[in-house]
Amino acid sequence: MNTLNSKRRWMPYLWLLPSIVLMAIFVVFPIAIVFKLSFSEISKSGIVGGFIGFKNFKDAIGLPAFKTVMVNTFWWVLSVVGLSTVIGFALAMVLNQKFHGRKIARAIVVFPWATSLVIQASVWNYIIKFEYGNLNNVLLNLGIIKQAINWRSSYTIEFIWECWVGIFVTIPFVTFCVLSGLQSIDASLYEAATVDGAGFWDKTWKITVPLVKPSLTVSTVLNIIYVFNSFPIIYTMTKGAPANKTDTLITYLYMLNFYDRKKGPATALSVIGFVILCICAGIYMVTVMRKEEEE
Amino acid sequence: MKKILAIALALCMVLSLGAAAFADDDITLDVIICQYGPNTQEWFLGKGMNGTNFVDKFEAENPGIKLNLEVVSWNDVYTVVDTRIAAGQAPDILNIDVFANYANEGLLEPVSQWCPEELYNDFFPSFIDQSVIDGTVWAVPDLASARALFYNVDMFEEVGIEVPTTWAELEDASQAIIDFYDGEVYPWGIDMTTDEGQAAFAYYTWGNGGGFVDADGNWAVNSPENVEAIEYAIGLINKGYTNPSPATQTRYDLQDMFAAGKLAMVIAPNQLPTYVADKGGSINLATANIPANEGKSSSSVGVMDRVMAFKDESAPDQAKRDEAIGKFAEFFYNPENYVGWVSMEGFLPAVNSAVGALVEADPSFGAWLDVLGGCQFYPTAKAEWDQVKQGVIAAEQNALTGASVQAELDALQAALVG
Amino acid sequence: MSPEVLKKQNRTALLLMVTAVLLVAILLSLPAYVFRAGVYTKKSSNTVVGDEKYLSVLDEVNAVADEYREKGFDVSVSESVTERTNSKGETTSLVTFNISQEFTRNGWSFLGAGLSSSLILVVLLSCTLLSLACAVAGSLGTMEDLPRRLDACSSMLRSAAGFFALAALILVPVFVMNNTVLFSRKLSLYNAGTVTDGAEAFYRKIGAFLFGDSAGEDPSGALKGLTFHSTAAIWLTVVPLFIMILAAIQLRHGSISETLMRGLLYAFVLVVCVVTLYPYYVMLVSAFRSNAETNDMYFLHLLPTKWIWSNLQDIVNRGVLRYLLNSGMIAGGATLIAMLCGIPAAYAMARMNFKGKKAFLGFVIMSQMFSPVVLLIGIAQLMSTLKLNDSILGLMFINAAFNQAFAIWLLRGTFVSISPEMEQAAKIDGCNTMQSLLRVLLPMAAPGIVTTLIFIFINAWNEYTISTVLISTASNRPITVGITQFSSFNMIEWQYLFAASLLATIPVVILFMCIEKHLVSGLTSGGVKG
Repeated sequence: MNTLNSKRRWMPYLWLLPSIVLMAIFVVFPIAIVFKLSFSEISKSGIVGGFIGFKNFKDAIGLPAFKTVMVNTFWWVLSVVGLSTVIGFALAMVLNQKFHGRKIARAIVVFPWATSLVIQASVWNYIIKFEYGNLNNVLLNLGIIKQAINWRSSYTIEFIWECWVGIFVTIPFVTFCVLSGLQSIDASLYEAATVDGAGFWDKTWKITVPLVKPSLTVSTVLNIIYVFNSFPIIYTMTKGAPANKTDTLITYLYMLNFYDRKKGPATALSVIGFVILCICAGIYMVTVMRKEEEE
Repeated sequence: MKKILAIALALCMVLSLGAAAFADDDITLDVIICQYGPNTQEWFLGKGMNGTNFVDKFEAENPGIKLNLEVVSWNDVYTVVDTRIAAGQAPDILNIDVFANYANEGLLEPVSQWCPEELYNDFFPSFIDQSVIDGTVWAVPDLASARALFYNVDMFEEVGIEVPTTWAELEDASQAIIDFYDGEVYPWGIDMTTDEGQAAFAYYTWGNGGGFVDADGNWAVNSPENVEAIEYAIGLINKGYTNPSPATQTRYDLQDMFAAGKLAMVIAPNQLPTYVADKGGSINLATANIPANEGKSSSSVGVMDRVMAFKDESAPDQAKRDEAIGKFAEFFYNPENYVGWVSMEGFLPAVNSAVGALVEADPSFGAWLDVLGGCQFYPTAKAEWDQVKQGVIAAEQNALTGASVQAELDALQAALVG
Repeated sequence: MSPEVLKKQNRTALLLMVTAVLLVAILLSLPAYVFRAGVYTKKSSNTVVGDEKYLSVLDEVNAVADEYREKGFDVSVSESVTERTNSKGETTSLVTFNISQEFTRNGWSFLGAGLSSSLILVVLLSCTLLSLACAVAGSLGTMEDLPRRLDACSSMLRSAAGFFALAALILVPVFVMNNTVLFSRKLSLYNAGTVTDGAEAFYRKIGAFLFGDSAGEDPSGALKGLTFHSTAAIWLTVVPLFIMILAAIQLRHGSISETLMRGLLYAFVLVVCVVTLYPYYVMLVSAFRSNAETNDMYFLHLLPTKWIWSNLQDIVNRGVLRYLLNSGMIAGGATLIAMLCGIPAAYAMARMNFKGKKAFLGFVIMSQMFSPVVLLIGIAQLMSTLKLNDSILGLMFINAAFNQAFAIWLLRGTFVSISPEMEQAAKIDGCNTMQSLLRVLLPMAAPGIVTTLIFIFINAWNEYTISTVLISTASNRPITVGITQFSSFNMIEWQYLFAASLLATIPVVILFMCIEKHLVSGLTSGGVKG
């Protein structure tokens, strides 16, 4: 009896073991090293020295570009996650309708997901080049514009383009999460609502949104994490130029680490980013999930 | 399921043990080479060296030495090298542009330890001087390039103007070109990108008697000459004389514009004519001195990359390792191989023994070698060079968005000295 | 609806159509384009007004102007002077002389001009008339003794009326855009001498259209510096054409708002698909251009002038297939490992109760919160300790570990959504937990498992930063790192970069296409219950 009981108690952990071992070795260990590094002195070439307390963190916060970068990161995450959620949601609603060619449309929508970010960013970088970019080529040769347009005339516009590429590659994920949620909704709910005289918006807000919310929650949390940590788009398109004005936290700390060789503050910044992310994602998850449980 | 997992783990261990057990008396050198052009990787690892490649040929001629050679793109090379160093896997031989940090942190093996004397004496002495810290030579040059002003001859004839030699004339010429072509042609190319903004700093400050350092070799980035020079460059941009986005338009973009006849003048490396030909450009180009401020002398800008050897305390036989590195260097700089390497991407050589063959193959090399002789180089031997490089780029880019050049450079100087 | 009402409706609709056609005709006869032909332009630099050079050039210009007047042009001569004081205090000036004339052309004048726009206009007008004709034909015989249901033939004719009107509507912007291409883009390329092929024929046609016979055999001189602006006349034809569509819908007895919503739906889907596929179009056309054409600063060709298929051969020679194979192995291996570890964990999370379950879920999410870029040093240290650096196996484990969170969240959701009853039944039949998992649960959870597989495969396939640092042997590189060789210190070889990118995308897209159905149903379970 006793052995059976203890077996039952230990069984779950045994099932978790492979996963835990894998993550402990390959994820937790490197994370631990980052934490250790953030409190250590690191030379310009990367030699790790002794413990120096919070000096790296102080240096990081004192960096002149720190504020700009934080503000950029905020806009980056907000616009990419927010807009891709809105557009993805709308797209999923449309793709859930019955129409000719729906299968093809669904397959096409998934494309941006299937291409790596480095490639996607390179292509868009090429597309919006003023002098020989493909966007000008197409618009000119189709007669939509009369003269080539400089699509990246200021850094604000360049940042908007970077956000667009971020949105572009994030939409498929949201769309498919919502689409899966939509498919599970019972059609009779809508019929009943129609009988009660509900309009399109009523049905959207009162039936669709609440029922799709759980799948949106998961996709939003994962999106916040992925977008916050997204590196190749900005690195490929502007490298943060001019003077970190288009950098987000992650590209900034990369530049700081490998170009400016301020490796200590760079490591500290990555820990700061982690904490911010934990807090944001944590708050979001707790509030949303608590609400769901209440409902 | 767990069985499969166990097998997978076991397999992984066996493989790794196998890799460790494989090591015998052979010396293996880890080499990192930067990707200079489309032929680099083929030459070192593919079939780009008359049907064979550098590594195969070297290993055939030097039994007992294996090369683990890797060609890394410039975009990633600092990341790769720094991360490897931090993880205790520094390469044995590295080809890169900077060396001061590695030397100052005691990571490098002095050149005298591994470089055969005959080869050492073959290097241009003025190049070797660029790699000295506290009297010790830490790296040897692998190739160089010289920068000069290139201009579109036909355009200058059509507009009816002379090639500018001073800054004032440059502005006049730019305005004339703008007027004549209704702004369809950019008169002047500027690259202040994160990739190479330090070159722009050099072009203008050196042409105004300023520079990164003062006469004593101390940092002087905020000298009045420098401030004037950078303000002048920013002024060119603000007056609309240049390409529209200097912060993100790289050298490639400028070269492409020049080849297509959209840019009248550009400061570019000596490979530009080859590049233009590759791009199918049919423009008529010529070179001139980089314009300088009135009364100041024009200065050519040279860029040099280096080869250096890292220390490896764990190597069982240090002498044997040094000897192997020396053999690598001898093989690399052997004119039979080196001439192909330098001319392949149109660079300029760093050793005397290669000059004869190169000039014979392409007479224009001779003129470029003369230019190279009078070139100024970046102060890469100073420890703070990284910081200065990134600092001046940030200063330029901030100035582009309206910040005061004086304040930016003052702040950088204060950070360097204080 | 009573026959009377229907009859009235039909009449109104037909009347509307006729009015719309008339409106189109009127709009086309309004002035549509105002051209200003800079018949002759002469720039003279370093010239001061009144000096010798100026006078000689002025004579030259006047002579040319007279020549044009003799031919019957109504030209005027203008000059503009740009004066500058240079740095040496000297005044330089650039004098520009312009001989020019203004022309107005309306829509009808395009007919018979032999331009590509003429053809478009002919088709546009035919569609408009056909629409009207179909509407009338479809109403013949049904107007008087209105049957409740239209017979098949007239129903089809009435639909056709709508489609023809739609086609005409779509052709309006095509017509306008084509004119912009003709008068602005093509003309400027020919004028600059950037393109010479077919210049003569082109000049002759445009010359005939603008000047009639007065331009003579070679009107190219007269067409230099042609500028134009358009009035709203052509664009306004959209309004009557739209009215025609509405009328056709009305004739068909369809609900206008429903039909329009349907049309909007298709338009929206079309736009989304075009935008989504656009980067892939760019990759495709750029991958087979020549090196020079990838940097085409005059935007000469939408498509490569010559499709250079050997670009594919070139990248294959530079090792791309090997890199693709490596990527496949890394992604496949990573997926396998992640599933082997993830399935038991997800099973435990879904079917068992134990302490620390929530903590484990939180831990799993937290493990995702560091970007691999940040963890490079730690990973490099770890891999050298494990002697897994520079190995494909190492990358498999890293990718598997970084996708564990995904695997566990998705699989757990899938398992939770499947009722445990079947497994319990299997257990009663004598299966142990492992057997019930393998034989009952996994087959039922197949869609969710497939989804997870794809997710991890793609993430691993697209991983870049860690591979850059870990892999030092060229033959071990995945494709994402392999393509960096096409952007070097000396140049970016766009065509190879895009050809390789295309090759790297195709396998994943094919995988996706095969799995699309599973993907949505798999996400359902993962998303809703996760």
